[in-house]
Amino acid sequence: MVESNGAQTREIVYPGQVISTDPEKIPGRGTIKENGKILSIFIGIKEEYGKYLNVVPLRGQIYTATVGDKIIGKIIERTPVKWILDINSNVEAILKPSDVMEKEKIETKSKRLSKREEETEIMKLFNVGDVLIVKVISGDRLSTPLLTTIGEGLGKLNDGIVLQIEVPKIPRIIGKQGSMINILKKYTNCKIFVAKNGRIWVRGKTFEYEQLLIEAIYKIEKESHTFKLTDRIEYYLKEEKKKRGLK
Amino acid sequence: MPILLPEKKHEKLILENGKRLDGRDLDEIRPFKCEIGVLSNTDGSAYVEHGGNKIFAGVYGPREVHPKHLGLPDRGVLKVYYRMATFSVHERASPAPNRRALEISKIIEDAITPTLFLELYPDSAIEVYVMVIAASGGTRCASTTAVSLALADAGIPMKTLVAGLAAGKANGKIILDCSDEEDKAGEADIPCVIQMKDEKICLLQFDGDMTPEELDTAISLVKKGAKQIFQKMTEAIHQKFENIQKETELEIEKMIQQQDIDSINNIESTIENETEMKNEYDNIDINKKDFDFNNIDNKKNKLEEFDEEEEDFEQ
Repeated sequence: MVESNGAQTREIVYPGQVISTDPEKIPGRGTIKENGKILSIFIGIKEEYGKYLNVVPLRGQIYTATVGDKIIGKIIERTPVKWILDINSNVEAILKPSDVMEKEKIETKSKRLSKREEETEIMKLFNVGDVLIVKVISGDRLSTPLLTTIGEGLGKLNDGIVLQIEVPKIPRIIGKQGSMINILKKYTNCKIFVAKNGRIWVRGKTFEYEQLLIEAIYKIEKESHTFKLTDRIEYYLKEEKKKRGLK
Repeated sequence: MPILLPEKKHEKLILENGKRLDGRDLDEIRPFKCEIGVLSNTDGSAYVEHGGNKIFAGVYGPREVHPKHLGLPDRGVLKVYYRMATFSVHERASPAPNRRALEISKIIEDAITPTLFLELYPDSAIEVYVMVIAASGGTRCASTTAVSLALADAGIPMKTLVAGLAAGKANGKIILDCSDEEDKAGEADIPCVIQMKDEKICLLQFDGDMTPEELDTAISLVKKGAKQIFQKMTEAIHQKFENIQKETELEIEKMIQQQDIDSINNIESTIENETEMKNEYDNIDINKKDFDFNNIDNKKNKLEEFDEEEEDFEQ
Protein backbone atom coordinates (compact mmCIF):
# COMPACT_ATOMS: atom_id res chain seq x y z
CA MET A 1 0.00 0.00 0.00
CA VAL A 2 2.81 2.41 0.86
CA GLU A 3 6.19 2.77 -0.78
CA SER A 4 9.17 1.99 1.40
CA ASN A 5 10.85 5.36 0.87
CA GLY A 6 8.02 7.23 2.58
CA ALA A 7 7.82 9.89 -0.13
CA GLN A 8 4.06 9.58 -0.34
CA THR A 9 2.27 11.96 2.04
CA ARG A 10 -1.06 11.54 3.74
CA GLU A 11 -3.58 14.13 2.60
CA ILE A 12 -4.28 16.76 5.23
CA VAL A 13 -7.74 18.34 5.09
CA TYR A 14 -9.28 21.37 6.79
CA PRO A 15 -12.85 22.05 8.03
CA GLY A 16 -15.23 22.66 5.16
CA GLN A 17 -13.02 21.09 2.49
CA VAL A 18 -14.91 19.05 -0.10
CA ILE A 19 -13.49 15.53 0.13
CA SER A 20 -15.64 13.87 -2.47
CA THR A 21 -18.57 14.51 -4.78
CA ASP A 22 -18.99 10.82 -5.64
CA PRO A 23 -22.64 9.88 -4.95
CA GLU A 24 -21.69 6.28 -4.08
CA LYS A 25 -19.45 7.27 -1.17
CA ILE A 26 -20.88 7.36 2.36
CA PRO A 27 -19.83 10.02 4.88
CA GLY A 28 -18.11 8.32 7.83
CA ARG A 29 -16.52 9.67 11.00
CA GLY A 30 -15.44 13.30 10.94
CA THR A 31 -17.47 14.20 7.87
CA ILE A 32 -20.88 15.60 6.90
CA LYS A 33 -22.88 15.47 3.69
CA GLU A 34 -24.33 18.63 2.23
CA ASN A 35 -25.89 19.07 -1.22
CA GLY A 36 -24.30 15.85 -2.46
CA LYS A 37 -20.84 16.87 -1.31
CA ILE A 38 -18.93 15.21 1.51
CA LEU A 39 -17.17 17.77 3.71
CA SER A 40 -14.58 17.41 6.45
CA ILE A 41 -15.32 18.91 9.87
CA PHE A 42 -11.82 18.65 11.34
CA ILE A 43 -8.21 19.41 10.60
CA GLY A 44 -7.24 15.83 9.97
CA ILE A 45 -6.20 13.06 7.63
CA LYS A 46 -8.54 11.84 4.91
CA GLU A 47 -8.87 8.12 4.50
CA GLU A 48 -11.02 5.73 2.50
CA TYR A 49 -12.38 2.58 4.03
CA GLY A 50 -14.48 0.69 1.51
CA LYS A 51 -17.42 2.91 0.67
CA TYR A 52 -16.82 5.08 3.71
CA LEU A 53 -14.84 8.31 3.78
CA ASN A 54 -13.42 9.19 7.19
CA VAL A 55 -11.40 12.06 8.59
CA VAL A 56 -9.14 11.24 11.53
CA PRO A 57 -8.65 14.43 13.56
CA LEU A 58 -5.09 15.60 14.15
CA ARG A 59 -5.96 17.77 17.12
CA GLY A 60 -8.47 17.61 19.93
CA GLN A 61 -8.35 17.33 23.67
CA ILE A 62 -11.83 16.28 24.65
CA TYR A 63 -12.89 12.77 25.60
CA THR A 64 -16.56 11.73 25.50
CA ALA A 65 -17.37 9.06 28.08
CA THR A 66 -18.68 5.81 26.62
CA VAL A 67 -19.84 2.83 28.67
CA GLY A 68 -17.17 0.22 29.33
CA ASP A 69 -14.11 2.43 28.82
CA LYS A 70 -11.27 2.07 31.31
CA ILE A 71 -9.97 5.55 32.05
CA ILE A 72 -7.71 7.37 34.49
CA GLY A 73 -9.35 10.01 36.67
CA LYS A 74 -8.21 12.38 39.38
CA ILE A 75 -10.35 13.17 42.41
CA ILE A 76 -10.99 16.90 42.57
CA GLU A 77 -13.76 17.01 45.17
CA ARG A 78 -15.13 14.87 48.01
CA THR A 79 -18.62 15.30 49.41
CA PRO A 80 -20.15 13.15 52.20
CA VAL A 81 -21.83 10.89 49.63
CA LYS A 82 -19.68 10.91 46.46
CA TRP A 83 -16.36 11.74 44.84
CA ILE A 84 -16.11 14.01 41.79
CA LEU A 85 -13.43 13.11 39.28
CA ASP A 86 -11.70 15.00 36.50
CA ILE A 87 -11.65 12.65 33.50
CA ASN A 88 -10.41 15.05 30.80
CA SER A 89 -13.95 15.51 29.51
CA ASN A 90 -16.21 18.52 29.18
CA VAL A 91 -18.14 17.22 32.19
CA GLU A 92 -16.93 15.92 35.54
CA ALA A 93 -17.68 12.30 36.51
CA ILE A 94 -19.12 10.87 39.73
CA LEU A 95 -17.93 7.90 41.80
CA LYS A 96 -20.34 6.66 44.47
CA PRO A 97 -19.36 4.62 47.56
CA SER A 98 -21.56 1.72 46.43
CA ASP A 99 -19.37 1.34 43.32
CA VAL A 100 -16.10 1.01 45.22
CA MET A 101 -14.43 -2.37 45.52
CA GLU A 102 -13.13 -2.09 49.06
CA LYS A 103 -16.69 -2.19 50.30
CA GLU A 104 -16.50 -5.96 50.86
CA LYS A 105 -13.38 -5.69 52.96
CA ILE A 106 -14.98 -3.24 55.34
CA GLU A 107 -18.07 -5.40 55.72
CA THR A 108 -16.07 -8.37 56.87
CA LYS A 109 -13.85 -6.39 59.20
CA SER A 110 -16.42 -4.41 61.11
CA LYS A 111 -19.75 -6.08 61.68
CA ARG A 112 -23.21 -4.67 62.03
CA LEU A 113 -22.73 -1.28 60.51
CA SER A 114 -25.76 0.70 59.48
CA LYS A 115 -25.86 1.77 55.86
CA ARG A 116 -24.90 5.33 56.67
CA GLU A 117 -21.99 4.27 58.87
CA GLU A 118 -20.79 1.96 56.16
CA GLU A 119 -20.89 4.77 53.61
CA THR A 120 -18.87 7.10 55.81
CA GLU A 121 -16.31 4.32 56.31
CA ILE A 122 -15.94 3.88 52.55
CA MET A 123 -15.71 7.61 51.96
CA LYS A 124 -12.48 7.61 53.99
CA LEU A 125 -10.77 5.42 51.36
CA PHE A 126 -9.92 8.06 48.76
CA ASN A 127 -8.93 11.67 49.20
CA VAL A 128 -8.76 14.71 46.98
CA GLY A 129 -5.75 14.39 44.67
CA ASP A 130 -5.81 10.59 44.40
CA VAL A 131 -5.45 9.14 40.90
CA LEU A 132 -7.66 6.16 40.09
CA ILE A 133 -8.15 3.73 37.24
CA VAL A 134 -11.93 3.54 36.81
CA LYS A 135 -14.50 2.11 34.42
CA VAL A 136 -17.48 4.00 33.01
CA ILE A 137 -20.75 2.25 33.88
CA SER A 138 -23.17 4.82 32.49
CA GLY A 139 -23.14 8.12 30.75
CA ASP A 140 -23.03 9.74 27.36
CA ARG A 141 -22.73 13.26 26.13
CA LEU A 142 -26.07 14.24 27.66
CA SER A 143 -25.71 12.83 31.18
CA THR A 144 -23.05 12.88 33.87
CA PRO A 145 -20.81 9.79 33.67
CA LEU A 146 -20.95 7.31 36.57
CA LEU A 147 -17.80 5.39 37.42
CA THR A 148 -16.84 2.22 39.26
CA THR A 149 -13.66 0.72 40.68
CA ILE A 150 -15.11 -2.80 40.82
CA GLY A 151 -13.28 -4.92 38.28
CA GLU A 152 -9.93 -6.33 37.43
CA GLY A 153 -7.05 -3.89 37.36
CA LEU A 154 -9.13 -1.01 38.64
CA GLY A 155 -8.47 1.05 41.75
CA LYS A 156 -6.13 3.58 43.24
CA LEU A 157 -2.67 4.11 41.73
CA ASN A 158 0.05 4.16 44.35
CA ASP A 159 3.08 4.90 42.18
CA GLY A 160 4.17 5.61 38.62
CA ILE A 161 3.73 8.59 36.35
CA VAL A 162 0.58 9.68 34.52
CA LEU A 163 0.95 11.51 31.19
CA GLN A 164 -1.67 13.41 29.28
CA ILE A 165 -1.69 13.36 25.48
CA GLU A 166 -4.24 14.30 22.85
CA VAL A 167 -7.19 11.88 22.74
CA PRO A 168 -7.21 11.12 18.95
CA LYS A 169 -3.57 9.93 19.19
CA ILE A 170 -4.28 7.12 21.66
CA PRO A 171 -4.76 4.46 18.92
CA ARG A 172 -1.27 5.28 17.63
CA ILE A 173 0.28 4.57 21.04
CA ILE A 174 -1.19 1.07 20.86
CA GLY A 175 -0.52 0.57 17.16
CA LYS A 176 -1.81 -2.03 14.75
CA GLN A 177 -2.28 -5.33 16.60
CA GLY A 178 -0.58 -3.72 19.61
CA SER A 179 2.71 -3.42 17.71
CA MET A 180 3.71 -0.02 19.04
CA ILE A 181 2.98 -0.71 22.70
CA ASN A 182 4.88 -4.00 22.49
CA ILE A 183 7.96 -2.20 21.19
CA LEU A 184 7.72 0.40 23.93
CA LYS A 185 7.49 -2.33 26.56
CA LYS A 186 10.30 -4.38 25.04
CA TYR A 187 12.88 -1.62 24.85
CA THR A 188 12.12 0.26 28.07
CA ASN A 189 11.03 -2.57 30.39
CA CYS A 190 8.24 -0.42 31.76
CA LYS A 191 4.66 -1.23 32.69
CA ILE A 192 2.24 0.82 30.62
CA PHE A 193 -1.50 1.33 30.91
CA VAL A 194 -3.13 3.28 28.10
CA ALA A 195 -6.46 4.79 29.09
CA LYS A 196 -8.99 5.90 26.51
CA ASN A 197 -9.27 9.44 27.84
CA GLY A 198 -5.76 10.34 26.70
CA ARG A 199 -3.91 9.49 29.90
CA ILE A 200 -1.08 6.99 30.11
CA TRP A 201 0.28 5.42 33.30
CA VAL A 202 3.89 4.31 33.19
CA ARG A 203 6.06 2.63 35.82
CA GLY A 204 9.62 1.53 35.14
CA LYS A 205 12.59 0.00 36.86
CA THR A 206 14.48 3.28 37.12
CA PHE A 207 13.70 6.88 36.29
CA GLU A 208 16.01 6.80 33.25
CA TYR A 209 13.83 4.18 31.55
CA GLU A 210 10.67 6.08 32.43
CA GLN A 211 12.15 9.27 30.99
CA LEU A 212 13.05 7.54 27.74
CA LEU A 213 9.55 6.09 27.48
CA ILE A 214 7.91 9.45 28.14
CA GLU A 215 10.00 11.11 25.44
CA ALA A 216 9.10 8.33 23.02
CA ILE A 217 5.39 8.77 23.77
CA TYR A 218 5.57 12.51 23.14
CA LYS A 219 7.40 11.78 19.88
CA ILE A 220 4.57 9.48 18.79
CA GLU A 221 2.04 12.16 19.68
CA LYS A 222 3.86 14.79 17.63
CA GLU A 223 4.50 12.60 14.58
CA SER A 224 1.29 10.59 14.61
CA HIS A 225 0.44 11.49 10.99
CA THR A 226 3.78 10.40 9.48
CA PHE A 227 4.96 7.19 7.82
CA LYS A 228 6.86 4.22 9.20
CA LEU A 229 6.26 5.41 12.73
CA THR A 230 6.65 2.03 14.41
CA ASP A 231 10.01 1.39 12.72
CA ARG A 232 11.26 4.84 13.52
CA ILE A 233 10.30 4.59 17.18
CA GLU A 234 12.14 1.26 17.41
CA TYR A 235 15.21 2.89 15.85
CA TYR A 236 14.88 5.93 18.11
CA LEU A 237 14.72 3.80 21.26
CA LYS A 238 17.76 1.76 20.19
CA GLU A 239 19.82 4.85 19.44
CA GLU A 240 18.78 6.70 22.59
CA LYS A 241 19.63 3.69 24.74
CA LYS A 242 23.11 3.65 23.24
CA LYS A 243 23.53 7.39 23.82
CA ARG A 244 22.32 7.27 27.41
CA GLY A 245 24.25 4.17 28.30
CA LEU A 246 21.20 2.09 29.20
CA LYS A 247 21.28 -1.66 28.78
CA MET B 1 0.05 73.21 28.79
CA PRO B 2 1.69 70.58 26.59
CA ILE B 3 -0.12 69.28 23.56
CA LEU B 4 -0.29 65.64 22.63
CA LEU B 5 0.78 65.25 19.00
CA PRO B 6 -2.26 64.20 16.99
CA GLU B 7 -2.15 61.30 14.56
CA LYS B 8 -1.13 62.21 11.01
CA LYS B 9 -3.98 63.04 8.68
CA HIS B 10 -4.06 63.20 4.91
CA GLU B 11 -6.55 65.25 2.95
CA LYS B 12 -6.80 62.83 0.06
CA LEU B 13 -7.12 59.12 0.71
CA ILE B 14 -6.64 58.16 -2.92
CA LEU B 15 -3.69 59.61 -4.81
CA GLU B 16 -3.75 61.01 -8.35
CA ASN B 17 -2.20 57.87 -9.84
CA GLY B 18 -5.14 55.80 -8.60
CA LYS B 19 -3.19 54.17 -5.75
CA ARG B 20 -3.97 54.41 -2.06
CA LEU B 21 -1.86 56.03 0.65
CA ASP B 22 0.07 52.82 1.35
CA GLY B 23 0.60 52.13 -2.35
CA ARG B 24 -2.13 49.52 -2.77
CA ASP B 25 -4.62 49.24 -5.60
CA LEU B 26 -8.30 49.80 -4.82
CA ASP B 27 -9.05 46.06 -4.66
CA GLU B 28 -5.83 44.89 -3.04
CA ILE B 29 -5.68 43.46 0.49
CA ARG B 30 -2.98 44.22 3.04
CA PRO B 31 -0.28 41.56 3.61
CA PHE B 32 -1.75 38.66 5.55
CA LYS B 33 0.09 36.07 7.60
CA CYS B 34 -1.18 33.46 10.03
CA GLU B 35 -0.02 30.53 12.09
CA ILE B 36 -1.76 27.89 14.24
CA GLY B 37 -0.72 26.17 17.45
CA VAL B 38 1.37 29.07 18.76
CA LEU B 39 0.37 29.05 22.45
CA SER B 40 1.28 25.89 24.34
CA ASN B 41 -0.91 26.46 27.42
CA THR B 42 -4.17 26.54 25.47
CA ASP B 43 -6.15 23.75 23.82
CA GLY B 44 -5.85 25.53 20.49
CA SER B 45 -4.48 28.84 19.32
CA ALA B 46 -3.79 31.05 16.33
CA TYR B 47 -1.83 34.18 15.45
CA VAL B 48 -2.91 36.54 12.70
CA GLU B 49 -1.03 39.44 11.17
CA HIS B 50 -3.19 41.50 8.84
CA GLY B 51 -1.51 44.73 7.79
CA GLY B 52 -0.66 46.44 11.08
CA ASN B 53 -2.95 44.21 13.15
CA LYS B 54 -1.31 41.61 15.36
CA ILE B 55 -3.80 39.33 17.05
CA PHE B 56 -3.56 36.23 19.24
CA ALA B 57 -6.52 33.93 19.92
CA GLY B 58 -6.54 31.08 22.44
CA VAL B 59 -9.24 28.44 22.99
CA TYR B 60 -10.13 26.59 26.18
CA GLY B 61 -12.69 23.84 26.28
CA PRO B 62 -15.28 22.56 25.84
CA ARG B 63 -15.43 22.66 29.63
CA GLU B 64 -17.98 23.26 32.39
CA VAL B 65 -19.78 26.59 32.40
CA HIS B 66 -19.16 28.92 35.31
CA PRO B 67 -21.48 30.36 36.59
CA LYS B 68 -23.62 27.31 35.92
CA HIS B 69 -26.88 29.12 35.15
CA LEU B 70 -25.34 30.39 31.90
CA GLY B 71 -25.18 26.83 30.55
CA LEU B 72 -27.87 25.56 28.19
CA PRO B 73 -29.31 22.03 28.54
CA ASP B 74 -29.50 21.33 24.79
CA ARG B 75 -26.33 22.90 23.43
CA GLY B 76 -23.02 24.40 24.39
CA VAL B 77 -22.22 28.08 24.45
CA LEU B 78 -19.41 29.94 22.74
CA LYS B 79 -17.90 32.77 24.81
CA VAL B 80 -15.51 35.19 23.17
CA TYR B 81 -13.51 37.69 25.20
CA TYR B 82 -12.04 40.43 23.02
CA ARG B 83 -9.39 42.65 24.63
CA MET B 84 -7.04 45.30 23.37
CA ALA B 85 -3.61 45.68 24.88
CA THR B 86 -2.99 49.09 26.44
CA PHE B 87 -0.18 49.73 23.96
CA SER B 88 -2.09 48.59 20.88
CA VAL B 89 -3.37 52.02 19.78
CA HIS B 90 -2.00 55.55 19.45
CA GLU B 91 -3.37 56.77 22.79
CA ARG B 92 -3.29 54.40 25.74
CA ALA B 93 -6.33 52.09 25.72
CA SER B 94 -7.93 51.41 29.09
CA PRO B 95 -7.50 47.76 30.03
CA ALA B 96 -11.03 47.61 31.47
CA PRO B 97 -13.65 46.07 29.18
CA ASN B 98 -15.65 48.84 27.55
CA ARG B 99 -18.71 49.05 25.35
CA ARG B 100 -16.70 48.52 22.18
CA ALA B 101 -14.97 45.38 23.47
CA LEU B 102 -18.31 43.90 24.55
CA GLU B 103 -19.84 44.64 21.15
CA ILE B 104 -17.00 43.03 19.22
CA SER B 105 -17.03 39.98 21.53
CA LYS B 106 -20.74 39.59 20.82
CA ILE B 107 -20.51 39.94 17.04
CA ILE B 108 -17.65 37.44 16.85
CA GLU B 109 -19.72 34.95 18.86
CA ASP B 110 -22.70 35.47 16.57
CA ALA B 111 -20.60 35.16 13.41
CA ILE B 112 -18.83 31.95 14.47
CA THR B 113 -21.69 30.10 16.24
CA PRO B 114 -23.55 28.96 13.07
CA THR B 115 -20.40 27.24 11.81
CA LEU B 116 -20.00 25.04 14.93
CA PHE B 117 -21.79 21.88 16.10
CA LEU B 118 -22.52 23.23 19.58
CA GLU B 119 -25.28 20.66 20.15
CA LEU B 120 -22.50 18.12 20.74
CA TYR B 121 -21.52 19.79 24.01
CA PRO B 122 -24.61 20.46 26.17
CA ASP B 123 -24.05 22.21 29.50
CA SER B 124 -20.53 23.21 28.52
CA ALA B 125 -18.76 26.27 27.23
CA ILE B 126 -16.04 26.91 24.69
CA GLU B 127 -14.09 29.98 25.73
CA VAL B 128 -12.00 31.99 23.31
CA TYR B 129 -9.70 34.79 24.43
CA VAL B 130 -8.69 37.31 21.78
CA MET B 131 -5.82 39.69 22.49
CA VAL B 132 -5.09 42.53 20.12
CA ILE B 133 -1.38 43.33 20.44
CA ALA B 134 -1.35 45.97 17.72
CA ALA B 135 -4.36 47.55 16.06
CA SER B 136 -4.51 49.30 12.73
CA GLY B 137 -8.09 49.18 11.45
CA GLY B 138 -10.28 46.16 10.86
CA THR B 139 -9.50 44.30 14.08
CA ARG B 140 -12.97 42.75 14.29
CA CYS B 141 -12.51 41.07 10.93
CA ALA B 142 -8.99 39.87 11.67
CA SER B 143 -10.11 38.67 15.13
CA THR B 144 -12.89 36.57 13.61
CA THR B 145 -10.38 34.95 11.28
CA ALA B 146 -8.07 34.23 14.23
CA VAL B 147 -10.91 32.76 16.33
CA SER B 148 -11.96 30.47 13.48
CA LEU B 149 -8.40 29.18 13.05
CA ALA B 150 -7.91 28.70 16.79
CA LEU B 151 -11.14 26.69 17.08
CA ALA B 152 -10.06 24.46 14.18
CA ASP B 153 -6.69 23.99 15.87
CA ALA B 154 -8.44 22.95 19.10
CA GLY B 155 -10.12 20.09 17.21
CA ILE B 156 -13.65 21.43 17.63
CA PRO B 157 -15.90 20.14 14.84
CA MET B 158 -16.97 22.90 12.48
CA LYS B 159 -18.76 23.16 9.15
CA THR B 160 -16.38 25.64 7.60
CA LEU B 161 -13.61 28.12 8.25
CA VAL B 162 -14.53 31.78 8.03
CA ALA B 163 -12.56 34.76 6.80
CA GLY B 164 -13.21 38.38 7.77
CA LEU B 165 -12.55 41.40 5.60
CA ALA B 166 -13.83 44.96 5.35
CA ALA B 167 -14.77 47.06 2.37
CA GLY B 168 -15.33 50.81 2.38
CA LYS B 169 -15.71 54.00 0.43
CA ALA B 170 -13.16 56.78 0.26
CA ASN B 171 -13.09 59.83 -2.00
CA GLY B 172 -16.16 58.41 -3.79
CA LYS B 173 -14.50 55.11 -4.70
CA ILE B 174 -15.12 51.61 -3.36
CA ILE B 175 -12.03 50.21 -1.66
CA LEU B 176 -11.20 46.80 -0.22
CA ASP B 177 -9.66 46.18 3.20
CA CYS B 178 -9.73 49.63 4.83
CA SER B 179 -6.68 50.66 6.79
CA ASP B 180 -6.98 52.63 10.05
CA GLU B 181 -7.03 56.03 8.38
CA GLU B 182 -9.41 55.04 5.60
CA ASP B 183 -11.65 53.56 8.25
CA LYS B 184 -11.84 56.81 10.21
CA ALA B 185 -11.80 59.44 7.44
CA GLY B 186 -13.60 57.50 4.70
CA GLU B 187 -17.28 57.80 3.84
CA ALA B 188 -18.33 54.23 4.60
CA ASP B 189 -17.07 51.06 6.23
CA ILE B 190 -18.51 47.53 5.84
CA PRO B 191 -16.93 44.78 7.95
CA CYS B 192 -17.88 41.37 6.52
CA VAL B 193 -17.32 37.77 7.55
CA ILE B 194 -17.66 35.11 4.85
CA GLN B 195 -18.23 31.36 5.32
CA MET B 196 -15.71 29.90 2.95
CA LYS B 197 -17.71 26.73 2.23
CA ASP B 198 -20.41 28.42 0.17
CA GLU B 199 -19.55 32.13 0.39
CA LYS B 200 -22.49 32.93 2.65
CA ILE B 201 -22.22 36.06 4.76
CA CYS B 202 -22.36 35.54 8.53
CA LEU B 203 -21.51 39.09 9.62
CA LEU B 204 -22.36 42.36 7.91
CA GLN B 205 -22.11 45.72 9.61
CA PHE B 206 -22.58 49.06 7.92
CA ASP B 207 -21.44 52.53 8.78
CA GLY B 208 -21.74 55.48 6.37
CA ASP B 209 -23.38 56.36 3.05
CA MET B 210 -23.59 54.15 -0.03
CA THR B 211 -25.98 53.42 -2.87
CA PRO B 212 -27.31 49.87 -3.24
CA GLU B 213 -25.20 49.36 -6.38
CA GLU B 214 -22.06 50.39 -4.52
CA LEU B 215 -22.91 47.97 -1.74
CA ASP B 216 -23.16 45.13 -4.25
CA THR B 217 -19.75 45.89 -5.72
CA ALA B 218 -18.29 46.21 -2.22
CA ILE B 219 -19.55 42.76 -1.24
CA SER B 220 -18.29 41.17 -4.44
CA LEU B 221 -14.88 42.73 -3.73
CA VAL B 222 -14.94 41.33 -0.19
CA LYS B 223 -15.70 37.84 -1.50
CA LYS B 224 -12.76 38.08 -3.87
CA GLY B 225 -10.41 39.25 -1.11
CA ALA B 226 -11.65 36.63 1.35
CA LYS B 227 -10.55 33.91 -1.06
CA GLN B 228 -6.98 35.24 -0.95
CA ILE B 229 -7.04 35.26 2.86
CA PHE B 230 -8.56 31.78 2.93
CA GLN B 231 -5.75 30.44 0.76
CA LYS B 232 -3.18 31.74 3.26
CA MET B 233 -5.15 30.10 6.10
CA THR B 234 -5.15 26.67 4.45
CA GLU B 235 -1.45 27.04 3.64
CA ALA B 236 -0.75 27.70 7.32
CA ILE B 237 -2.68 24.56 8.33
CA HIS B 238 -0.83 22.40 5.83
CA GLN B 239 2.55 23.88 6.65
CA LYS B 240 2.35 22.96 10.32
CA PHE B 241 1.89 19.24 9.69
CA GLU B 242 3.89 18.91 6.50
CA ASN B 243 7.00 20.33 8.17
CA ILE B 244 6.90 17.42 10.62
CA GLN B 245 6.45 14.98 7.72
CA LYS B 246 9.54 16.37 5.97
CA GLU B 247 11.64 16.05 9.11
CA THR B 248 10.66 12.42 9.50
CA GLU B 249 11.58 11.62 5.90
CA LEU B 250 15.19 12.53 6.67
CA GLU B 251 15.02 10.36 9.77
CA ILE B 252 13.82 7.38 7.73
CA GLU B 253 16.79 7.69 5.36
CA LYS B 254 19.19 7.77 8.30
CA MET B 255 17.45 4.78 9.84
CA ILE B 256 17.72 2.64 6.71
CA GLN B 257 21.45 3.37 6.36
CA GLN B 258 22.10 2.57 10.01
CA GLN B 259 20.05 -0.61 9.93
CA ASP B 260 22.16 -2.09 7.14
CA ILE B 261 25.34 -1.67 9.16
CA ASP B 262 23.83 -2.78 12.44
CA SER B 263 22.13 -5.89 11.12
CA ILE B 264 25.46 -7.47 10.23
CA ASN B 265 27.38 -6.67 13.40
CA ASN B 266 25.08 -6.68 16.35
CA ILE B 267 22.47 -9.40 16.00
CA GLU B 268 23.92 -11.84 18.47
CA SER B 269 25.01 -9.36 21.14
CA THR B 270 21.66 -7.55 21.34
CA ILE B 271 19.69 -10.75 21.77
CA GLU B 272 21.85 -11.78 24.70
CA ASN B 273 21.54 -8.41 26.39
CA GLU B 274 17.78 -8.35 26.15
CA THR B 275 17.27 -11.79 27.58
CA GLU B 276 19.46 -10.93 30.57
CA MET B 277 17.52 -7.77 31.13
CA LYS B 278 14.18 -9.59 31.10
CA ASN B 279 15.26 -12.17 33.62
CA GLU B 280 16.49 -9.47 35.96
CA TYR B 281 13.28 -7.55 35.65
CA ASP B 282 10.99 -10.50 36.31
CA ASN B 283 12.54 -11.11 39.71
CA ILE B 284 11.67 -7.69 41.11
CA ASP B 285 8.29 -6.92 42.69
CA ILE B 286 7.43 -3.56 41.24
CA ASN B 287 3.85 -3.11 42.26
CA LYS B 288 2.56 -3.51 45.77
CA LYS B 289 -0.99 -4.17 44.68
CA ASP B 290 0.18 -6.23 41.74
CA PHE B 291 -2.16 -4.97 39.06
CA ASP B 292 -1.82 -7.20 36.05
CA PHE B 293 -2.33 -4.85 33.15
CA ASN B 294 -0.71 -7.23 30.76
CA ASN B 295 -3.17 -10.04 31.31
CA ILE B 296 -4.54 -11.60 28.20
CA ASP B 297 -8.21 -10.72 28.54
CA ASN B 298 -7.43 -7.10 29.02
CA LYS B 299 -5.18 -7.02 26.04
CA LYS B 300 -7.65 -8.79 23.80
CA ASN B 301 -10.40 -6.33 24.61
CA LYS B 302 -8.15 -3.39 23.95
CA LEU B 303 -7.03 -4.78 20.63
CA GLU B 304 -10.53 -5.53 19.47
CA GLU B 305 -11.65 -2.02 20.22
CA PHE B 306 -8.81 -0.37 18.41
CA ASP B 307 -8.47 -2.79 15.52
CA GLU B 308 -11.07 -1.06 13.42
CA GLU B 309 -9.50 2.34 13.72
CA GLU B 310 -6.01 1.06 13.33
CA GLU B 311 -6.43 -0.97 10.20
CA ASP B 312 -7.06 2.04 8.07
CA PHE B 313 -4.83 4.42 10.03
CA GLU B 314 -1.66 2.39 9.99
CA GLN B 315 0.23 2.08 6.76
